[in-house]
Amino acid sequence: MAKQLLKGNHAIVKGALLAGCRLYFGYPITPASEIAEGAALYFPRLGGTFLQAESEVAAINMVYGASSGGLRVMTASSSPGISLKQEGVSYAASAELPMVIVNIMRGGPGLGNIAPEQSDYNQVVKGGGHGNYKVPVLAPNSVQEMCNLTMLAFDIAEKYRTPVYILADGYIGQMMEPVEFPKPVMNLPRHDWAIYADAESKDNLIASIYLDPEELEEHNRKLQRKYAEIEKNEVRLEEFMLDDAKYVLIGYGIVSRMLKTAVEKLRNENIPIGLLRPKTLFPFPSKKIKEITQRIEKFMVIEMSNGQMIDDVRLAVEGKIPIEFYNRMGGVVPSTDEIVEQVKKQLLQGERG
Amino acid sequence: MSANKDIKQLTRDDFVTDQEPRWCPGCGDYSILAQTRKVLPEIGVPRENIVWVSGIGCSSRFPYYVDTYGIHGIHGRAAAIASGVKLANPDLSVWVATGDGDALSIGGNHFIHLFRRNIDINMVLFNNQIYGLTKGQYSPTSEHGKITKSSPLGSIEHPFNPVSLAIASGATYIARTMDRDPHHLSEMLLKASQHEGTSFIEVYQNCNIFNDGAFFHLTDKKVRSENVIYLEHEKPLIFGTNKDKGLTFNGKSFDVLNLANGDKESDVMIYDEYEYDSTIAFSLSKLTYNPSKPTPVGIFRNVNVNLYEKQMVQQIEDHTASNGKGDLKSLLASGESWSVN
Repeated sequence: MAKQLLKGNHAIVKGALLAGCRLYFGYPITPASEIAEGAALYFPRLGGTFLQAESEVAAINMVYGASSGGLRVMTASSSPGISLKQEGVSYAASAELPMVIVNIMRGGPGLGNIAPEQSDYNQVVKGGGHGNYKVPVLAPNSVQEMCNLTMLAFDIAEKYRTPVYILADGYIGQMMEPVEFPKPVMNLPRHDWAIYADAESKDNLIASIYLDPEELEEHNRKLQRKYAEIEKNEVRLEEFMLDDAKYVLIGYGIVSRMLKTAVEKLRNENIPIGLLRPKTLFPFPSKKIKEITQRIEKFMVIEMSNGQMIDDVRLAVEGKIPIEFYNRMGGVVPSTDEIVEQVKKQLLQGERG
Repeated sequence: MSANKDIKQLTRDDFVTDQEPRWCPGCGDYSILAQTRKVLPEIGVPRENIVWVSGIGCSSRFPYYVDTYGIHGIHGRAAAIASGVKLANPDLSVWVATGDGDALSIGGNHFIHLFRRNIDINMVLFNNQIYGLTKGQYSPTSEHGKITKSSPLGSIEHPFNPVSLAIASGATYIARTMDRDPHHLSEMLLKASQHEGTSFIEVYQNCNIFNDGAFFHLTDKKVRSENVIYLEHEKPLIFGTNKDKGLTFNGKSFDVLNLANGDKESDVMIYDEYEYDSTIAFSLSKLTYNPSKPTPVGIFRNVNVNLYEKQMVQQIEDHTASNGKGDLKSLLASGESWSVN
């Protein structure tokens, strides 16, 4: 099949279809609405279900119900809608229900605007709802990855029985790029925990209540063991010109596209700089950052937020080398030249005085 | 709230803001805005005592365009935010601008509970039967079978009838009007302002971009007389180009009488908007989606029921009268609390 030119949001829907997902529950919101519209267009034609819920709260609970039935299911929204879903995500994390939640981030807080931002890092990567839980978070930076990582998200969700987030922004959601579609997933497995309304699964119970404190503690310990396992196995990152780098830029999502060009431009000026792009935000590539810390002089983190991911970089660096920071907020996307200028000013100024 | 005769006579221009409306040219919202600016000088409340509260959606940009206090709130929550505004300061004239998505999908819960409480708030629902701001998905009032971006094979959901829902939830002033009938629209707004209790006005509003013509059968000059019946207090329920059709209640629902064809005018119901029992109002509201019967506009119900905020104040006054004023220090040491050394 020839490559297809399509929007990031549509690549999510097609990735979900390739992953065998046939159930979608959601509510329209800019800039994520094309995901719902795509699901409305394609899912029913492959025998699936699309339902436009009355709210994001309703949608996440419908996803909870469908997931309990052992089927691949998803929802999508944008920042304010994700805030509404958090209650359901906490319940799903405790009940250990696989599901894929897409967040096409927009400017906040509050109503903010519909331009791209990365200000949901904390509400998505750090849990977001109540209780001791985390969710794996995948951060695509291209339309191709919107497709591929959505497929991966379903696999991780089922492997670890957990909700999984795709964290992208309005820019990646709306932009168009060519995509080569992977092979579809066939023969989805039956899960021994799910409710199939048959004799075999009749003893299965989906719940998040543990009235006995010690039982709940044990449940929490089990969840933490699961997160440790995820940290061990599921870290994904992209390295660019790191081998001889003295300076390393860190950024995810759309920012990393600008960073890559910035690195190329700086390399043309013989500046030894590289890029580390986390593709998973939980688990965070802390080990790799620790390792690089030993051999470089400075990091610089660039985010379209007030500085949220930088906290995870700080935890990994443990104060051993300086971390510079540059950000834009409110839906302003930094340009490559702007980043090059900031790198020169912040990373190199001291050295070249 | 009651009119204040001492204030300077305001005019329509006093309610115009410096904001350029961000609605599409030709949108029905402009008519609602124009009639609101016309009516607000007549309600006898100074501008600084009026608050317009909205949620999210095209309709919810309304507070930017009327020169009163305004709150552009959270999606679906306008009714709850307005409740807070009103109960914090019951002397304000509080209005809600909302849409069919904002009020009836995500805000459905707040919508019914506002009416149940009967707080003196006036809600204007801009019903265009579509999600306009997110560019054309079906809404909770879109008709069954509606093809939209999120229902490409046709919607398989049944729409809410907002007037039926408001009646069932206990709203005490319930009216329906249309963007293309400005005189009637302003009359419904004015009467809502005079009503003590929650007022609900459904406005059929044309979205000329994503749902053009949804109400043309009710607004087009050639056909509207046959399709619309105006509810007027103490007047017979008569409609038709030649005023030759009427409605009669058969004990279960409404039948259309053909007065030109032998049916008697004395059998036509005389409407009473002040009837406390909402059975008739509810039955009339059910005519809405019936192609063989006219769609009612006007005031379905207009009754006085205990006001929430009056009861709230009265309850505190009564308790204070019999128990004295509350004292913070003694309250801190009362209840499930023990003094220890």
